[in-house]
Amino acid sequence: MIQTIKLVFTNFKYLVLSFSIFVTMLIGLLIMSEYLFLEPYVVSHIPSGTEFGFVLIVMISALSALVLPMNIFRINILKSSKQKMGGGVFGSIIGAAAGACSCGPIGFAVISTFGSVGATATAFLTNYEIPIRIIAIAILSITYFTTVKSLKVECKINS
Amino acid sequence: MNKKGMMIGVVVVAIIAGIIVSVSSSPSETINLDMGRTHGTISTAMGSPILGNPDASITIVEFGDYQCHQCYNWFHNTKPAIEQQYIESGKVNLVFVDLAFLGRDSPKAAQASYCAEDQEMYWEYHDLVYTSQESKIDSGWANSERLKAFAFSLGLDMGLFESCLDSGKYSKRVSFNTQQAKEHGVRGTPGFFIVSSEGQQQISGAQPFTVFKQILDPLI
Repeated sequence: MIQTIKLVFTNFKYLVLSFSIFVTMLIGLLIMSEYLFLEPYVVSHIPSGTEFGFVLIVMISALSALVLPMNIFRINILKSSKQKMGGGVFGSIIGAAAGACSCGPIGFAVISTFGSVGATATAFLTNYEIPIRIIAIAILSITYFTTVKSLKVECKINS
Repeated sequence: MNKKGMMIGVVVVAIIAGIIVSVSSSPSETINLDMGRTHGTISTAMGSPILGNPDASITIVEFGDYQCHQCYNWFHNTKPAIEQQYIESGKVNLVFVDLAFLGRDSPKAAQASYCAEDQEMYWEYHDLVYTSQESKIDSGWANSERLKAFAFSLGLDMGLFESCLDSGKYSKRVSFNTQQAKEHGVRGTPGFFIVSSEGQQQISGAQPFTVFKQILDPLI
């Protein structure tokens, strides 16, 4: 497993990509979930009772940063199928969507634009924020292990 | 002459008695609103009663929804320190204005708070609803029955409260407040405006106490 990670991330391009995905997702999700504010001052805080949500955001960002570059590596270097990439992208998107609506800056705009459909969707994403994030982590984890497995086979890495 | 004077006296007494009876028998119909009340560019006439010193030179206008988790977070994590350090000392006051948009129970909860205001229990009711908030939107924790149960637990006159809530007496008031939020570019809840003689500053989200302190201290 470590050899597989080394194989991908010794390439500086994939390391930069991974770092970019992690930082972008983490900052974006922290802003959406109101752990980080940019105005009027840059300030971050974790309100009591929301610590678990914060940990899940960090995990989703880290797993996305791990899984997506590995799949891009498979597609670019090994010319493999894009099927596993889909799992990574799907996991990242649903992990990002969970809880990012509702009260936050997007929620009111979504509900104003899409009416009752938007209200139902944001309510669902808010109500099931934690389970949805856990599912996203599960999808990303499965994608990670299957990607590592296929890279081992495709690159003939000895475990 | 005496007869005429007596007649006038009877009519005057009857009018006064009528006024007293109508006021005492139907307090739910009494809406004590200052229609001209504004804070900065925001009309707070339909908002909550003022919390704290009405003559304070700084006002925090909060736009919120009773079903909003972030409002709950702000209510529990930031508001107590603001109350303790600024509102109780009379330097700052606070007005809550509804942006009831999150679910079908949100407007009803906002209306219920004004039904409690009819019995001069607005802030007690407001605090109880936020304290009782449950994590799921529209799960029933803020439906009409629960809103009535909150009123009962505060010892409100249930006849008055129920007729007020069931009639939708304050639905237009809540709609007006939501419109104020839209007109002022409030994009989510909670949203705040710090209004002083130096203007008004918008704060979006359940920001920590340190942010409010940094803004309020130079204004005092």
